[in-house]
Amino acid sequence: MTTNVPAVDVHGAAAEARPKNFINWSSGFMSWAGTLDHKRIGLMYLVGVSIAFLCGGLFALLVRLHLWEPNGALFSNAQYNQIFTLHGAFMVFIFVIPAIPGSLGNIILPLMLGAKDVALPRLNLLSFYLWLTGAVLATLAIVLGGFDTGWTFYTPYSLYTNQAVVTIGLAVFVLGFSSIFTGLNFIVTTHKLRAPGMTWFRMPLFVWALYATSLLQVLATPVLGITVLLVAFERLYHIGIFDPRLGGDPVLFEHFFWFYSHPAVYIMVLPAFGIISELVSVHSRKPLFGYKLIAFSSLAIAIISFLVWGHHMFTSGQSTYAMFAFSFLTFFVAIPTAIKEFSWVATVWKGSIALNSPMLYTLAFLVIFAIGGLTGVILGALNVDIHLHDTYFVVAHFHYVMMGSIALAFFAGVHHWWPKMFGVIYNETLAKIACGIIFIGFNTTFIPQFIMGSRGMPRRYATYVPEYAPFHQASTIGVIILAVGIALMVYYLVASLFQRKKAMENQWGGVTLEWLAPTPPPLENFNEPPVVTNEVYDYSTLDLQTMRTPVK
Amino acid sequence: MSHDGHHSVVIPAPGPEFQAHTVAHHFDTPVQEFQSAKLGFWLFLATEILLFGGLFAAYFYFHEVYPETFRLGGQQLSWKLGALNTSVLLLSSWTMAMGVRCAQTSQKSKLLMYCGLTVLGAAIFMVIKFIEYKAKNDHGLVVFSELFSPYNEATGQLAWFKDYHNAMVDKAGVPLPHGHLFFAIYLTMTAIHGLHVVIGAGLILWVMKGAAKGRFHAGYYLPVDLVGLYWHLVDLIWIFLFPLLYLVP
Amino acid sequence: MGHHHVSSSAMFFNVLVALLILTGITVGTSRIDFGAANMMIAMAIASVKASLVMAFFMHLKWDTAINKIIFLSSFLFLSLLFIFTFADHATRRMDTQWHVTKAPVDKQWVHPSQLVGK
Ligand SMILES: [Cu+2]
Repeated sequence: MTTNVPAVDVHGAAAEARPKNFINWSSGFMSWAGTLDHKRIGLMYLVGVSIAFLCGGLFALLVRLHLWEPNGALFSNAQYNQIFTLHGAFMVFIFVIPAIPGSLGNIILPLMLGAKDVALPRLNLLSFYLWLTGAVLATLAIVLGGFDTGWTFYTPYSLYTNQAVVTIGLAVFVLGFSSIFTGLNFIVTTHKLRAPGMTWFRMPLFVWALYATSLLQVLATPVLGITVLLVAFERLYHIGIFDPRLGGDPVLFEHFFWFYSHPAVYIMVLPAFGIISELVSVHSRKPLFGYKLIAFSSLAIAIISFLVWGHHMFTSGQSTYAMFAFSFLTFFVAIPTAIKEFSWVATVWKGSIALNSPMLYTLAFLVIFAIGGLTGVILGALNVDIHLHDTYFVVAHFHYVMMGSIALAFFAGVHHWWPKMFGVIYNETLAKIACGIIFIGFNTTFIPQFIMGSRGMPRRYATYVPEYAPFHQASTIGVIILAVGIALMVYYLVASLFQRKKAMENQWGGVTLEWLAPTPPPLENFNEPPVVTNEVYDYSTLDLQTMRTPVK
Repeated sequence: MSHDGHHSVVIPAPGPEFQAHTVAHHFDTPVQEFQSAKLGFWLFLATEILLFGGLFAAYFYFHEVYPETFRLGGQQLSWKLGALNTSVLLLSSWTMAMGVRCAQTSQKSKLLMYCGLTVLGAAIFMVIKFIEYKAKNDHGLVVFSELFSPYNEATGQLAWFKDYHNAMVDKAGVPLPHGHLFFAIYLTMTAIHGLHVVIGAGLILWVMKGAAKGRFHAGYYLPVDLVGLYWHLVDLIWIFLFPLLYLVP
Repeated sequence: MGHHHVSSSAMFFNVLVALLILTGITVGTSRIDFGAANMMIAMAIASVKASLVMAFFMHLKWDTAINKIIFLSSFLFLSLLFIFTFADHATRRMDTQWHVTKAPVDKQWVHPSQLVGK
């Protein structure tokens, strides 16, 4: 396969002859630490969030191993509280929220728009360093005594517990601003740096999804910032607004917290939707069914997500009338979400489906997200939620969304754009096997949690009555399978960087602009500034021999 | 800042005392650069509104729950100092607006003068704020030296709220419920606002440094414009803080 | 960059005078008790002042549509936080009354830990 490629020997002098790309453009620590190139920043994010994911995954593994026995197999109850908190905080704030926008978004969004970079490159680097600072602070908080409040920092417990809540609060504040700056940058980039001819309705849906995400990041995250700041102030000088001893109202904290943290669910999931929209189209080689509907549904989800946060507070002493309203409004989220799911399925239907590994991850997403989404509708119903609130049913539901959907979409996207980012291709057979193992492991982990949750097993408990043991043990077996699958995935992805099996310029036959740039792209992305004349996802001009669209 | 021989766009200096501006390499035109930065900054200002918004929500919430505490708390603040500070900030907002105008019209020395006046306004504001805080400290309403002392669980007393003159009591002399809440919110809101004043003044000093070198003129005044917007936001928030805290409705 | 609007000094001065006068009015009206309308009046005057600062000092009047939309939408989304939070608080008391009289009591209920061995 490599015979017609002039120079693939990385060690020989011939490597000199290869065109410079963003990775080998310059070398040395400072050329990365001080880089303003969106692809390098994205790559640093990719490494960073992957490490965070593996840390969070390790904590998850510890939690599940502990729950093998009804009385807890590994830790004291206090340690268990810290470990599940670490799992939640690392996964939510350090992995899921920045994962897709920070890594794939940073690398792909400017390419898709035909831009040379994001609009504000220095802010982009600042955003990465804020993320890094937040991650370091969170790790520091572990050293400074840990934190056992759960990732939600509910008051009044978070005000009374004798742990490093201020440090982790500061970490969340800093991570919040990292997220805000990424979102802000993407909005400006999308508005101001589109290539000539790239109209709003020629933008790939990944861009639309990131745009909607960015609006949420900008409009919701500041409220989280002030909330964690207030919790820190409460601990430092006892303002009293969240502290019932001092006349405060813990439910007010929950309002503040969920005003951000419900939209945050969509900050996490909308980029995943964007990836899936791209991938179903490319790997089915078919224009997306309902392009505009998917684009608008992203915006609709973004807006509706601001109206439903109270569904997290159905058992918190909120007024019943507010609960009616929140429950009612929650159902509206299902409409744009279902529009997306149906559109993806309709796109695959009668498509020219190539079961490449990114497509396998995508199909796994479609199944898992259907379950995750529908159980969300169940939980949105007020009366049902009173029973299911704070049980493993909720845990299973949001893991179907956060792990099963978002992490899988992230994996799908990494597999899809891997050849574009590095110019190499991984072992496709291993990739398919890993995807299968992950799918089986994931469902084995969380289906038992749905069952025991519906039977009343409360979440976050270090111990449980023996009746639940079979479900917990099945779940623990599932997580081990999942871990094997992920380990395999990490192995072949990293190995591909050393094996250097050269990828095609346009590995999957995509027609969005990033596939027109050289592989891997050079510093300012395109040799010639692209001009867009085709409609989006128009595969009619794709030459299947060369996988190229005619150069315009 | 061209990487591979691409020609960069340069905005020429309007006169010998000014510097030319090179448009960043990833922008095609000066207008694109200007509008991108402006859009980004407005988005940032929107986040500031939402950040302060959480504090305002807390204010309104507890104003609703403890109206009498808030009414009496407001009376402990000096509305005269508050009104004076409002006027100082409004004036400084005006000098800043005039400063931006001078940048737009390439009037270097007047730009420096107006920026200097704005920083002076910020300084006066902070001095008055300090006088206010000192008075609260002396009345035991916010005892700064005890601010971070722990809460006494047994007595239910906050170390920083002593109320030496029994200001926060009802007509019968019974302490109002949670009298400290008003002062805690007052302190938090004005301290975060004050931090913005200090940051704003720092940014204006930075603008003055660039202005002295002649970086800003009719062709390129983006940083002056953005710092000006930030300063007006500081003013904007104070416009709401003043009646809510000093004249509690 | 001729497309930028340069405001006249006189206009800025007039806005400043208006803002100072409105500050005086704020203080003046706070001396009169309008009952429940006190807050509305104070916030209305503050909003007028804020609008003047935004429109003229911040040049929003001459700015692009998207910049206007973004800044104003921050107030819109903030109002959502206010509306739902206060809607909850305002209806909570009605709620307890209803709760006390109507909520059914499950006399059969036992703590899950008591189910062990059954
Ligand atoms: Cu939610």
